[in-house]
Amino acid sequence: MSHSELGDAGTGVTNSSPVPAVQLSGIAKRFGAVVACDNVDLALARGRIHGLLGENGAGKSTLMKMLIGLVLPDAGTIAIDGKTESIHDPLTASALGIGMVHQHFSLVDALAVWENVTLGDAGRLDPNATRNRIGEISEQYGLVIDPDKRVGDLTAGLRQRVEIIKCLRRDPSIVIFDEPTSVLTPEESEQLFESLRHVVAAENRAVVLVSHKLDEVLHATDDITIMRQGRVVDQRYSTDADAPTLARAMVGREVSLRSERAALGIHSLDDTDLDDVEPVEPDTVLPATAQPVLRIDRAVAHDADGVVALDEFSLEMHSGEIVGVAGVEGNGQRALGDVLSSLLTLSSGTVAVDGAVVPTGKSGAMAEAGIGVIPEDRHDSGLVLDMTVAENLVLVDQSRAATRGLIDQRRLHAFTEEMIEQFNISCGGPTAPMWSVSGGNQQRVVLARELSQEPKILVAAQPTRGLDVGAIEYMSHRLETAAASGVAVLLISSELEEILELSHRIIVMHSGRIVGEMSRAEANFETLGLLMGGAAA
Amino acid sequence: MTDLLSAVYEIFSSESTYLNGALFAAFLAFAATGEWVAERSGTLNISVEGMLLGGAFAAAMGCHLTGSVAVGLLTAILGGVLIAGVQAEMSHRLAADQFVVGLTLNILVFGLTGFLENEIAPETTLAGRWEIPVLSDIPLLGQALFGQRWPFYILYLLLPLSWWLVYRTRWGLELRSVGENPQSADVSGIDVNKRRRQSIYYAGATCGLGGAFLIFGHIGRFEDTIVGGRGFIAIAAVIFGGWTLRGTLAGCVVFAGALSFRLSIQGLGYDVNSELLQALPFVVTIAGMAIFAHRVRAPAALAQPFIRGLK
Repeated sequence: MSHSELGDAGTGVTNSSPVPAVQLSGIAKRFGAVVACDNVDLALARGRIHGLLGENGAGKSTLMKMLIGLVLPDAGTIAIDGKTESIHDPLTASALGIGMVHQHFSLVDALAVWENVTLGDAGRLDPNATRNRIGEISEQYGLVIDPDKRVGDLTAGLRQRVEIIKCLRRDPSIVIFDEPTSVLTPEESEQLFESLRHVVAAENRAVVLVSHKLDEVLHATDDITIMRQGRVVDQRYSTDADAPTLARAMVGREVSLRSERAALGIHSLDDTDLDDVEPVEPDTVLPATAQPVLRIDRAVAHDADGVVALDEFSLEMHSGEIVGVAGVEGNGQRALGDVLSSLLTLSSGTVAVDGAVVPTGKSGAMAEAGIGVIPEDRHDSGLVLDMTVAENLVLVDQSRAATRGLIDQRRLHAFTEEMIEQFNISCGGPTAPMWSVSGGNQQRVVLARELSQEPKILVAAQPTRGLDVGAIEYMSHRLETAAASGVAVLLISSELEEILELSHRIIVMHSGRIVGEMSRAEANFETLGLLMGGAAA
Repeated sequence: MTDLLSAVYEIFSSESTYLNGALFAAFLAFAATGEWVAERSGTLNISVEGMLLGGAFAAAMGCHLTGSVAVGLLTAILGGVLIAGVQAEMSHRLAADQFVVGLTLNILVFGLTGFLENEIAPETTLAGRWEIPVLSDIPLLGQALFGQRWPFYILYLLLPLSWWLVYRTRWGLELRSVGENPQSADVSGIDVNKRRRQSIYYAGATCGLGGAFLIFGHIGRFEDTIVGGRGFIAIAAVIFGGWTLRGTLAGCVVFAGALSFRLSIQGLGYDVNSELLQALPFVVTIAGMAIFAHRVRAPAALAQPFIRGLK
């Protein structure tokens, strides 16, 4: 794919030492039907910082977990300093001199800093020796920390400092930083990169920086490898790279959803599938009503760890429009969906539907106010797999099948038959268990349930994730027709193609804030990619 | 009212109240100390009851076969560890639900020891009484703390040993990390389920000692009702104590106080409904739990099974 300035990855980055510190060849890993890594070659040289860039799910974290022994590769070899090794657990990796600074910290909150640092070592527990070692590392790399503080009381930046000290304590010759700045403030990130330079320069170590942030990869690294959908799509020297090129390679302009469809010969759906709705040209539907149906005003929310997930987030939506929310995952989209599902309480700010403020975090309040949700993970929060199709269809609102708390089996059956027909759900009848139904049809059940509530607003979080092309097509049509019938659709998706195809208006989220807003006509991969990477457009 | 006050005064000024209280508290403390260690690693063993009963029966058998109290103590440890082994291997190697395993074990041990007791009828003796000079002459508390049969004094070694193991050794550090955040411990290279199994074996050993103490230090002979639900009170003591050893001990003392009060008030000839009195320790336990249980912080991963790669 595209040109690679470092030539063949196998012989790639070789300037300081003839044998690379790490040589990954033909690495492959599947999780069920999902290919996480597909024939990946990667070489890491000593004395250099290697940026590994890619979107969430591109396979970069999985690749690094194989190097550290947390995940075992299905195929391929790992050579350390030219010698092929089998790394089957973290201890082996550590013995080979590989250390990792984890994205989600590997620290135990209830323990003190020194206890965390020594965790996983062998031999007698010696608090004073550990404290001294921490002092040495602190001095050497400028990472000052109080060894007796409880880790749970530290800020994210200091916790990461502990993580780095824990990693460096074993003197690793290869250090992996997995998304190190995702929880840091800009100043903290700056400090981190300064110490990163120390780590590389002082000991001639090989360092990998895993990231999806274009800026930091450009500034902090020497070599860059870009991954997409489990493959290496480009490798180049940082000096030869610029943000637009990287953004294009990262989001993969070449492959578009439409061309995939054409290749598979799917141009339109059977008429039976959509006989109850007229095809709509989305461009003709424009927000007309003056009063916004949904109004989120300066919403602030924190996740379970107390990290800010939504930061003064404001959004207005009108009936009949589809608003696409673009952004790298983990930038507040999930919190946005959770707030609108009554799962998360706002620290400050308000959510109003049709001008009436809805209490946040109160079970069922959002649904009652007219917000339907297609959740991000249908298995986790969309469906009860061990219950029947019929039961799943009335989970949110039993009034369709129940009177005074008693479920009327005949009414339930009739309602389910109606939904099965209307949404063309292919299943073994109303009493089929949910797990016996295919993924695409499971998603149709969720869709049928939410649309049958006649919501004013429909939140669709990653509505086509894991679906095949036909099911994606169906889902897209349904969202468009829902919008045409006056529903305001909030489409949260990590698929840029999907957002560009369906949305009337696109907002880009970064660090819990809206960093860009544009009409579909103004949007393209490059501007979106830059905004998602946190670079100024 | 004055009757009640004078009864309470009489109970608190009677040496036998403290003597009985110490016996009850010691029995609970043997079990609760081990369970405390196990819970710090994130496991919750409701099989404490079964471990105590199994330990008591094994102690009786050891003494029955050899006539020696010391051998009885060793067989008691083996008995407790054997039952702990079923719990540990089933729930933290084979990933069976720890509560189902624990519940089943309690019923199994109860039935099995009852049957074997009928078949064998083990003969046991009480251990000798050791009076610690000077200390045992302290008024009220002297006899309770320093005038007991010698298995009682094992507790004076077990408590500091357990504290030292959990807070001062690498094993203890790893144990605590496993109970707080097993994912982080795993990433750091610690075998989470192995540590958890070890902690349950430790609980099995201390419960075995507790069962032996009951036979040799207190009752003198085995019956299948000898433990009588106090294994669950030991678990409650750990929660009451906020998962610290000091608090756990305090819990044992409070709950043992209720048990002792029940005996004393009858012994002094006061006429109180005996069924009501039977329920008193459990009422105190429930009240204690209701007041204290939500004020303390449990190990973050308590009772959560750990399966590798699951996040």
